[in-house]
Amino acid sequence: MMENRLEKKLQVRNLRISFRTNGGKVQAVRNISFDLHKGETLAIVGESGSGKSVTSKAVLGILAGNAIVEGGEILYDGQDLLKISEDDFYRLRGDKIAMIFQDPLSSLNPIMKIGKQLTEAMLLKGKARQRSCKENFKTKLDQLEKTMAEANSANAAKSKEQCDTFRKFEAKHTELEQAYNNAYEAAEEALEEVKNLLFLMEKDAFKDVSALRQAKDFALNTFNPYVVTGDDEAALKADANALMNDIKAEMKSHNYSATMSRLQNIQVILEKAVSKTKPDFFAMGYFMVCGDGNVPSGTVEQNNQFYFDYIAKNYMDEFEEDITKAIVWSDERYLEKRKAVVTALENAYADLDQGTVESFRPSVGALCKQVNDSVDPLDIVKDSAACTFEGTMKSFLARYDEGLRTNKSKQAKYDREVRQAEKRAAKGKDYKVAMPTTIDLELVKENMLAAIQHLKDHYIERNQKDAQENKRAKTDMITDYLKDNASGMVLKITKQAARNKALKLMEEVGIPEPRKRYNQYPFEFSGGMRQRIVIAIALAANPDILICDEPTTALDVTIQAQILELIQNLKKKRNLSVIFITHDLGVVANMADRIAVMYAGKIVEYGTSEEVFYDPAHPYTWALLSSMPDLDSKDKLEAIPGTPPDMRYPPKGDAFAERNRYAMKIDFERQPPEFRVSPTHWAATWLLHPEAPKVNPPSAVTERIAKMKARMEAENHV
Amino acid sequence: MSEQQVLLKVENLCQYFKINKAVDDVSFDIKKGEVFGLVGESGCGKTTTGRSIIKLYDITSGNIYFNGKRIAAGTGSYRNAINAAREEMKTASPERKAELKAIIAEQREQIKAAKRDHFAKENRSVTQIQMIFQDPIASLDPRMTVYETIAEGLKIQGEKDKSVIDEKVYKVLERVGLVREHAGRYPHEFSGGQRQRIGVARAVVMEPELIIADEPVSALDVSIQAQVINLLNDLRHELGLTILFIAHDLSVVKYFSDRIGVMYYGKMVELATSDELFAHPMHPYTRALLSAIPLPDPAYEKNRVREKYNPLEAHDYTVDKPRMREVTPGHFVQCNDAEFARYQQELKA
Repeated sequence: MMENRLEKKLQVRNLRISFRTNGGKVQAVRNISFDLHKGETLAIVGESGSGKSVTSKAVLGILAGNAIVEGGEILYDGQDLLKISEDDFYRLRGDKIAMIFQDPLSSLNPIMKIGKQLTEAMLLKGKARQRSCKENFKTKLDQLEKTMAEANSANAAKSKEQCDTFRKFEAKHTELEQAYNNAYEAAEEALEEVKNLLFLMEKDAFKDVSALRQAKDFALNTFNPYVVTGDDEAALKADANALMNDIKAEMKSHNYSATMSRLQNIQVILEKAVSKTKPDFFAMGYFMVCGDGNVPSGTVEQNNQFYFDYIAKNYMDEFEEDITKAIVWSDERYLEKRKAVVTALENAYADLDQGTVESFRPSVGALCKQVNDSVDPLDIVKDSAACTFEGTMKSFLARYDEGLRTNKSKQAKYDREVRQAEKRAAKGKDYKVAMPTTIDLELVKENMLAAIQHLKDHYIERNQKDAQENKRAKTDMITDYLKDNASGMVLKITKQAARNKALKLMEEVGIPEPRKRYNQYPFEFSGGMRQRIVIAIALAANPDILICDEPTTALDVTIQAQILELIQNLKKKRNLSVIFITHDLGVVANMADRIAVMYAGKIVEYGTSEEVFYDPAHPYTWALLSSMPDLDSKDKLEAIPGTPPDMRYPPKGDAFAERNRYAMKIDFERQPPEFRVSPTHWAATWLLHPEAPKVNPPSAVTERIAKMKARMEAENHV
Repeated sequence: MSEQQVLLKVENLCQYFKINKAVDDVSFDIKKGEVFGLVGESGCGKTTTGRSIIKLYDITSGNIYFNGKRIAAGTGSYRNAINAAREEMKTASPERKAELKAIIAEQREQIKAAKRDHFAKENRSVTQIQMIFQDPIASLDPRMTVYETIAEGLKIQGEKDKSVIDEKVYKVLERVGLVREHAGRYPHEFSGGQRQRIGVARAVVMEPELIIADEPVSALDVSIQAQVINLLNDLRHELGLTILFIAHDLSVVKYFSDRIGVMYYGKMVELATSDELFAHPMHPYTRALLSAIPLPDPAYEKNRVREKYNPLEAHDYTVDKPRMREVTPGHFVQCNDAEFARYQQELKA
């Protein structure tokens, strides 16, 4: 299946982060792994200090200066985010990965107007996107041409001609579509404004003349042969231009009959305009450039069919067939390459496993080269595991070298400190020594082995999938990719467009009077309003991945519900992947597809939303569920006693053991592994060990689950 | 419950900041020993109401009675009456003028009385009202130890005997779940939950009758939230405290409060016992508010439909102005005649 390869947007593997502080090294994130799939929401739940914010900041590359990334990787779009440079991050941040910060006070610039802050990124990224689309379009099409020529070496000239035609009419297509989109969007906006104004006037609550002006501006931007044209254009123009004069006369008397009748006329025209079918600009573009120039005079639907048939007959069918042929040819080649890589990896694994890192070192270069060669340049989604393999290997080797160089002196220092501490302890003073920061060379080797194993498994899986893959679907993907990038090339974001978009966003996140607010400074906003601005800024750039770090904690329920709905809608509309960090379990139930419960820098439970809520397995999850009141609770709340552990001296066993009523002896001694409850659900607690005594969750949790199930069934019956 | 003594009575409270009507004609009373919850979205005036009660602001108009004694009063309404009378005076007949003069004189007396009560120095009952603030970090002085923070109020009240202060401070520290050793430390050495406990201790040490808790748990983690709620609950039962609980987390308010008042843009729109309010919400804003509560149940959450509230669409107040009416005993709703009839119909159905 094609989707499967698209699926994983972000992969975090064995991430470990600590902070250097005066008191020693604080281990904030301890070996966590998770995947984020396309179009899903992953919720990370936990108390403050459990490492959830640190994880998200690592994804965005904005860790504090004293942070040390001890290991692991974060894979996104063929890159390891822990290893790329600041310049590369600059391209990702906001555009691809955006973040809604927890504290609105510190995430806004106090001396910049709100409007400027909202549009700044849009304007900056607009240019960058144009550039990158141009580049993507060019390289991918060139690559396609090359592959096609190689696959069909007898007729290389033909594939060149095909690609050239594509380049030519694609420009026309985007130009037409751009003009249409602008007009259509303006029509939608104007319609919304007009409806709103009519409502306000009816209720005699109309105050803001600038809203009327805005509606007029939108209405005057809708002229396009496929949106508002002919008689409608003239009528709309007349009505819109007369609006401002009418309102001047009527403003005082509060009797808006003339304005309202004009607005109603405009509404009728616009409603007609937005219900029209969208023409097939892609096919039309081809017809305009390569056709005979006789534009047919049917309805939009008829024309669409005509253009479509025309392009299919004369060009597209053959082109796509050739692409598919080329893909089949290149896929076979790369499949062979990957198979060879799998064998090479198997050998490398055995070599390293039996030998040492030193003995393995000389062969790394050749292996990495072979892996890099096996990456198919026609892949739309980069194979992250393969692309980052070289970087991973190199960084492991560098770490190994550093360990060889510094371990001895660090160990000596630690021993010295321990001796001192013992002396002080003898005097009755409490004195703890931070663990040494030596690098475990065995662990480095194990990590290298794991990386090799991971790529091998990944390739074996991919090879199997590739065999069943629909080559035709891949062709569509490539043509769609080319089309997308071609439209990105002409997409220009002007200041006015950015302003309109910003105003719309401000309205969407529930800021009243956005036009007035646009020119205000952050200090003029209340906390909730500031939070909404921060959310609007994050959404402005149309990101791929949205990280929400407690976005609604400071907001009240109605606005919270509004914002959550907004995020949900955006997620559906743009197939956004969301990482949602919060400690409010109600919000989690609303948003999450999957949940990771974090405690003391580790994920303790991981599963789909239903599994975690209806069948929680970890005592910490139980405690979280039972400590919050719901609308039915009357008894005393079961608070979790104590506070989270000091992560400078992480506990040896399960970190939650000290606050856990169900803790067993082994919990204090050894860290529990991940016990599977179902294929998608695991929890790290010894209670799931087959030999552990059977323990039932606290009654508050079981009762609530029973209630939820009863409610579910009652609803099903109705 | 109705026989219980009224501890705090708020009458037509208005608090205007320039033209911004933060609180507009709000009336309610809190009975001894009960927890009164105040909910509403941010900016609706619930915090302002709380702060007006402990006289952090001088109120614009209205009266606040504590234990039957007026502790705060505003002069706005009297001034308005005087202005209106003067306006009328210009055109009124001679007989009417005399009447108006009497009205003005009476209103002036009222103003004098209000000012006397409001600024009375001997009026010490205000120390019987204490406040717990939202942000435990910002509300504690970082330069004062926990002991100094808690003892400050006692010292201001004129307590000079160190042993009495010591005893009281240590007792209250233990009462809120901290230990004696914590007294010498500074706020930054504590976790969020412990800091909020210090805030509670500072309020409780004055042995107040009424505590105004302004979002005491919304800045805390879930696990800590439960600790603080349990603490407040215990204190309430043991010390017989009355609490005005201001919050926006409705699950917590429902759990903790006996009666709940819902505020919207400076007005109280609905007031009822907490069970009654959740069982029969009347006002469209209350319904919108209740429909927005997220519950920890994915299946329910995915199907939850949120009601929207737009005051312009929901009510037609052009002719018939709304006021607070009692729909069923103890259940007040802000509505006009037509709505009042409809609500009663709904209740019967």
